[in-house]
Amino acid sequence: MVDVRADVPRRPSEGRVSPGRQESRYAYLTLLPVLVIMAAFSLYPIGYSVYLSLHKEVLTDPLNHPFVGFRNFANALGSYYLSASLLSTVEFMVMAVPSVLIFGLLSSLLLNEVFAGARILRIAILLPWAMPAVVSGIVWRWMLNGDYGVVNSVLYQLGIIHSYVPWLSQPALARISLVIAHVWREGPLVAIFFLAGLQTIPADLYSASAVDGAGPIAAFRRITLPLLRPTLVIVLIYETIVAATTFDLVYVMTGGGPADATSLISWFAYAEVFKFLDLGTGAALAFLIAVALVVVIVFYLTVLRSQERN
Amino acid sequence: MSRNVRRQAGLWAATLVLLVFILAPIVWMLDSSFQGETELLTRPSHLIPEEPTIANFNYIFTGAIPQGQAVRGTLRSRISQEARSIPAALENSAIVALTVALVNVALGVLAAYTFARLNFKGKAVFFNFLLGSRLLPAIAVAIPYYAIVSALNLLDTYLGLILVYLTFTLPFTIWFLRDYILGLPVDVEEAAQIDGCGRLQLLLRIVLPLAAPGLVAAGAFAFMSSYNEFLFALLLTQTIGSQTLPVVLTSVATNPDASLALIATSVVLAIGPPLVFAVVFQRFLTRGLVAALGKS
Repeated sequence: MVDVRADVPRRPSEGRVSPGRQESRYAYLTLLPVLVIMAAFSLYPIGYSVYLSLHKEVLTDPLNHPFVGFRNFANALGSYYLSASLLSTVEFMVMAVPSVLIFGLLSSLLLNEVFAGARILRIAILLPWAMPAVVSGIVWRWMLNGDYGVVNSVLYQLGIIHSYVPWLSQPALARISLVIAHVWREGPLVAIFFLAGLQTIPADLYSASAVDGAGPIAAFRRITLPLLRPTLVIVLIYETIVAATTFDLVYVMTGGGPADATSLISWFAYAEVFKFLDLGTGAALAFLIAVALVVVIVFYLTVLRSQERN
Repeated sequence: MSRNVRRQAGLWAATLVLLVFILAPIVWMLDSSFQGETELLTRPSHLIPEEPTIANFNYIFTGAIPQGQAVRGTLRSRISQEARSIPAALENSAIVALTVALVNVALGVLAAYTFARLNFKGKAVFFNFLLGSRLLPAIAVAIPYYAIVSALNLLDTYLGLILVYLTFTLPFTIWFLRDYILGLPVDVEEAAQIDGCGRLQLLLRIVLPLAAPGLVAAGAFAFMSSYNEFLFALLLTQTIGSQTLPVVLTSVATNPDASLALIATSVVLAIGPPLVFAVVFQRFLTRGLVAALGKS
């Protein structure tokens, strides 16, 4: 134990803020509303989810709630649809995350240039992000319509395709369509994140490397990429979470179809709860999703640390 | 010189490609909203409307069935009746999002100032609790949120949605504004304190004017997130008394008998406010986004 009284006594006037009783009261009073709201909507939900996941809670059987241990978890894990939707989710992530990152990186390089076009782009690029995600789904669903979609029409007239493509009714194409809509909405955000990262790189580094005779590609590899790395890691984690929990787009664009090709995990959990009205299994699933996300994040961070050591 | 010219040309070409990708979907929606259903259902698509019409907008606001739908040779015309709820949904969304933005900034700045300038027991615990509470994935808290709002008898009300959106936006606002206030000079506050100014007065008279840009950014951010949120709006609302735009738009669009012209028109009406907002508050939003990244 450290004897606090052994410290040099502080004079009342010393330090910016004296932790007087009045100050503490003011502090607690100002935090009270926020803490009450946040506690009600975070601590209680966690407890309630634990309760739900361990009991039978099916809304079609409202009076029967026996304790069932981990049976809900077993149900969720054993379901054929879980493995199918996990696979779809992973496939979607593998396509969507790199697409979004590459789109964002290339756009940010353009945004970082000094010319009039960059100023126009900085306004335009906010627009897809500014509208509801469901709008992105609706817009692309209409544009990619297999019978009358404008994308088909333009590609056909340019001679790139020879007949209209059923973008949303073929599993592989539906996945690609989902990725396109996802990139449209999510990519601009990533571009702004990367732009912020690029702006912290001192310009002298580039002029120095130019003096040394390095071309733009060498400068990108030796200066831009390494210095952008911290931003890259955060964006990667963030975008992995976003892709893994994609819901709005699926709901409005494909409804999980065709043939469950786009039935991502969030959609599956939603359907489990709100179509089959099984709250217990839904809560168990929610836990599994949350845990899986934490595992992914920890994995990224571990890989990152080990790379940094080398 | 020619190298520089080539470089400029390349930059502008890339800009053009990017602009087309970003803007084409928005422009095509606008374009579609001025076409009749029959014209939309043609091959190839008419990039420029041959018979531009405001009938779709007319239907949404007055209920007059567009000509294009009436003359179609099918047994019944495609029509999305839900589209008539768009004006009411616009109002709901505006009320909810504006209230969230205002309350969020008011409560947020109060807490943020306390975290930035005062010392008290439990400060670190409270702060970390606030930040950590945002890490729960939305789908994981959907059922309990429903249960809470239902127990409070707030299903299908503005207040229910507002409460939930406050919990989504407050942690970020507090974190963002705390940082902002930490960046402000402290000497003016100290001088005023010696003159006997209380904490609340300090906040209202001295800190608020200085932190105004930060408050605008936080408010704009809260507005956008509330205006755009879908999952909880879907769960917590039941009637057009409280349904927000994403919910109504989705029911317009997923109706199997939906009219493409009316979908496009609904989308145009729905994205107007956030687009104007994004252009006006561009700087504030970019700054908020960048800060949001640093936090995660």
